[in-house]
Amino acid sequence: MAEDRARNSKSGEKTLIRDISFCGVPENGSNASMVDVKDGKIIRIRPMHYDWKYDPEKDMNPWKFDVRGSTFEPSMKTLIPPYSIAYKKRVYSPARVRFPMKRVDFDPGGAPGSTGPGGRNTQNRGKSKYVRISWDEALDIISKEMNRLKETYGPTCLLYQCDQHGENKVVQACHGAGRKLLPLWGGYTLQIRQPDSWEGWWWGSKHFWGCEPVGQGKQSNLLLDVAENCELLLFWGCDQETTPWGWQGQLPSRLSYWYSELGIKQIYVCPDLNYAAAVHADRWIPVLPNTDAALYLAITYVWFKDGTYDKDYLKTHAVGVETYEAYVMGEEDGVAKTPEWAATRCGVSARVIKALAREWASKRTSVVIGNGGPGIRGPYATEPARLQNICLAMQGLGKPGVNQVKMIEWGLFDFPDQYAQPKPLRVPNLRKAYTGGHPSDKNDPSLPKTLVPKAILEGSCDWWGCESETAPREDQFIHRFYPAEGASKIHAVWTDSPSWITCWNGGNDYVRAMQHPDIEFMWAQHPWLENDALLADIILPVNTKLEEDDIAADIFSGQYNLLYPENKCVEPLGESFSDYEIVCMLADKLGLLEEYTGSKSIPELIKYGWETSRCADLISWEELKDKGYFVVPTADGWEKEPRGFQKFYEDPKNNPLTTPTGLLEFESTGLKEHFPDDKERPPVPKWIPSGITHQETLETERGKKYTLLVISNHPRWSVHSQHEDITWLREIPTCKIKGPDGYQYHPVWLHPSTAAERGIADGDVVSIYNDRGTVLAAAYVTERIMPGVIYIDHGAKWDPIVPGEIDRGGAINTIVPRNVTSKNAVGHAVSGFLAEIEKTDLDELKRKYPDAFNRPFNPTAGPGLDAVMAGGEE
Amino acid sequence: MGKVLIINYDICNGCYNCQVACKDEHVGNDWSPIAKPQPDTGQFWNKLHDNVRGQVPKVMITYEHSICQHCDDAPCIRSCSQDAIYKRDDGIVIINPDKCRGHQLCIEACPYENIIYYNEDLKIAQKCTFCAHLLDDGWEEPRCVDACPTGAMIFGDEDDPKIRDLIAKAEPLKPELTVKPRVYYIGLPKRFIAGALYDKEADECSESVKVTAANVDTGEKVTTETDSYGDFWLRGLAGGQYTLLFEKNGYLAQKFGPVDVTKRDINIGDVALWKS
Repeated sequence: MAEDRARNSKSGEKTLIRDISFCGVPENGSNASMVDVKDGKIIRIRPMHYDWKYDPEKDMNPWKFDVRGSTFEPSMKTLIPPYSIAYKKRVYSPARVRFPMKRVDFDPGGAPGSTGPGGRNTQNRGKSKYVRISWDEALDIISKEMNRLKETYGPTCLLYQCDQHGENKVVQACHGAGRKLLPLWGGYTLQIRQPDSWEGWWWGSKHFWGCEPVGQGKQSNLLLDVAENCELLLFWGCDQETTPWGWQGQLPSRLSYWYSELGIKQIYVCPDLNYAAAVHADRWIPVLPNTDAALYLAITYVWFKDGTYDKDYLKTHAVGVETYEAYVMGEEDGVAKTPEWAATRCGVSARVIKALAREWASKRTSVVIGNGGPGIRGPYATEPARLQNICLAMQGLGKPGVNQVKMIEWGLFDFPDQYAQPKPLRVPNLRKAYTGGHPSDKNDPSLPKTLVPKAILEGSCDWWGCESETAPREDQFIHRFYPAEGASKIHAVWTDSPSWITCWNGGNDYVRAMQHPDIEFMWAQHPWLENDALLADIILPVNTKLEEDDIAADIFSGQYNLLYPENKCVEPLGESFSDYEIVCMLADKLGLLEEYTGSKSIPELIKYGWETSRCADLISWEELKDKGYFVVPTADGWEKEPRGFQKFYEDPKNNPLTTPTGLLEFESTGLKEHFPDDKERPPVPKWIPSGITHQETLETERGKKYTLLVISNHPRWSVHSQHEDITWLREIPTCKIKGPDGYQYHPVWLHPSTAAERGIADGDVVSIYNDRGTVLAAAYVTERIMPGVIYIDHGAKWDPIVPGEIDRGGAINTIVPRNVTSKNAVGHAVSGFLAEIEKTDLDELKRKYPDAFNRPFNPTAGPGLDAVMAGGEE
Repeated sequence: MGKVLIINYDICNGCYNCQVACKDEHVGNDWSPIAKPQPDTGQFWNKLHDNVRGQVPKVMITYEHSICQHCDDAPCIRSCSQDAIYKRDDGIVIINPDKCRGHQLCIEACPYENIIYYNEDLKIAQKCTFCAHLLDDGWEEPRCVDACPTGAMIFGDEDDPKIRDLIAKAEPLKPELTVKPRVYYIGLPKRFIAGALYDKEADECSESVKVTAANVDTGEKVTTETDSYGDFWLRGLAGGQYTLLFEKNGYLAQKFGPVDVTKRDINIGDVALWKS
């Protein structure tokens, strides 16, 4: 038995184990943490030590990699990120919603479209203040409005927004607890989220290599494969020191150091020196945002020209190679995609492109991706995604050391193909006890998240695919419409995931859509007053997960899988309840409580979670409760699991891909059949600088007016929109920068030359603008970004100066492209777009918008509840 | 049986867990008589600094840590007029929060930067305690070390052979001082000169070019070779001025410089070579 890490009795503290991770999907729990509490107060949050109650050798079947004379072992503790450690600041945040609130100028008695006293005043959403109301009044308004709307328009007039990320909870699910209620009530329209971190692979790569339903390459056992076989790793827009944190912690960091120790070279291709490149890169190749397609094309040009690719492999494993070659060599359009051709587009010199092409061809190379990043969620992201796959294919995809390796989400959605780390004996799964919505959920009717503003503002739209976030390739060929046949237009919005503005495509459009008189009623439930919640007519207070009992599984760490019941650490703040409890209260008002809960209590659901976890035969309920957690032993023989595309590489006939031909499709059969004339996602991937959907490159007319390319990755110091109010993070210079007015602005990275050209100095408040609006930020002048490009983390907390036009909080997504990935692909395009930047005249802005600048803000935590309470009440 | 801390910059990923865990432990928690609460923001008993080194595209970050060195010959102890600062048997230096009268002489006396802070509300000086309240309660290491994911912070007993091996590879932050610090560093940044060489006529990167840097003052020479991108990195340099010499068979030898790395690391950029 290991030393008892729960502290001795002298401290009087009690240690509870909690999942403090932020994916918000029940299969994707991680970041198990120890929370020490005393006298109803959280004392500290720290890594969880696996060996607290278990003997590693006896109980855990520890794994290790013994490769090239070096050994890598998982840590005996969880490798949690800083926002898990700092999470008590989130629990006690000044932005916590502590009681139900009503928008001060919203009168539910008002007629649709009414303004002024006694009206609904939808035009004031985002501007109005709030007053405190009772739970009774809040639930009364909501249930009456629901029933009135149902009678008037039918139930499908209600749009339920219940996706995106949040606290990982199971029985107290943070998103979508209404998914089981609304069908009982009559129906609804479901907002369908698309894979916002891997758009290009989802909408593009599936047509190249299948890999359903994720679209990214097969991951099985690749962490070991890299160690044993790789000579070169190309981290393409991958930042494993940032993106995996909220999902799985920091094993990718330790692994990256070890790969370097083994002598595996690491090259980072990205416009910014991201946090991983800053500490792991052997070479940084800065590439202009969203021009990776040109770079890949030139690399394959060199290979075709020099014959340095695996011709025999392509003969047996691929189709359409000749068509692709004809395009690359210029036989199709008269333009050879030479390194010189690419250099003028992507900003990488021709000689470096040639050197990279030769090194790639001469070494066992895998491409490493990490979701997000600059290259995969921009306009026409399908093209760099497929071209990257083509490069791997030309070097024998699936050969030892030749794969697409993910540094994130090992084990995504419980898919065996996604398990890059040593497999556990069982993967615990709590889906059956989960009360919320799931990415695989479908509903009729539904509306893609990316099209919500368009649907509301224009009244109709159509699209292909997007049935769910786990829909197969074929779904992308199904045409859908809004309003759906027999369904209503949207007249009400219920959100439990109010972060559309700062996470999706064209947040300013979303604000205008919610201000539209057609949206007669909008309500939000959330622990914090932030982002879209500021638009709602009614806001309900939700508690954080440390205030609830639940059950969790940690399956993403890459180290050991865990199962543990979770006990409440502190009492709920104010009048808050869990999302599930709130939906139960609403169900009660609607007379549907028994049907909704199936008469199961929360403790019963928690125990049901263990029963159905796949681990009930490995540990009894009593022992689980007594020990507090269960470490799933590593499976024997995990080393023998196939590696990535190995089986396809060895025998494509008997291990076909899920493409129509079963092979790698350089020319996509499906796209050729369904969209033969699509210039924006053609059957053969191409360099597409602009088209009918996007004009976001320097070569366009817009590029003359907005001369900078913006990249925006998932944030370092938050998870999408989460954690923006943690004071201990906000004092880190790359998190926030204090302006002369004492407000902490969101940093935007500029190269010294970019700043000097505009008279901008480090720390200046600046305006980032284009034809979609203006966002204020603080200049972070640095050599970490290439000239002509600016970098800003997405997810900053929206703090409108003029809602729908000017934002003070740094929510860059308010001005990203409103249009989707391309004509027939409804992903979002939120990085790699045009903007200009100038020093802000703060005094002038303050004169013009005194109300916005007079709103109180916490100098170290940002805007809080008092910013919107009528009379400043809290 | 004195305690020591070893900080390895080579594997510090800059996650700030150490800085944040310190706050989680000490903000809002009163650990008297070891420490009173730390202010919520603006003070750091364990402070990180992003040292962004070089210029595009030869850039890297070294994350630098400021933390009390728990010196065996601590100037702060000598400076205090109230005898409020003392050294424990395990080597840890503590400012007794009950005895401190806020004269701030210790802040003046400390030869390191960002170590001792004056808490305006409590009118006392405060700094890192190596979480002595936890060690006294059975913990093996302070919060910052427990929170470190990569092993960049190692805490232990100076008599432990594993710790002794690490100390042998490490160096003090300021070797010129004689205060006998208990914090050791691996990978303290030295200067680098980097660049890329290419054959302009062929528009190809120049591989295997011999690059020699000579220190202008000492004449000391360092050499390296360019890789397949024509890149070279001369690392581990002392500050000062260097002249560079590029040599490759079939090409004109070329001098470059002087390059001044007294204050910062330098990427000289892309330099063309010409066939002889």
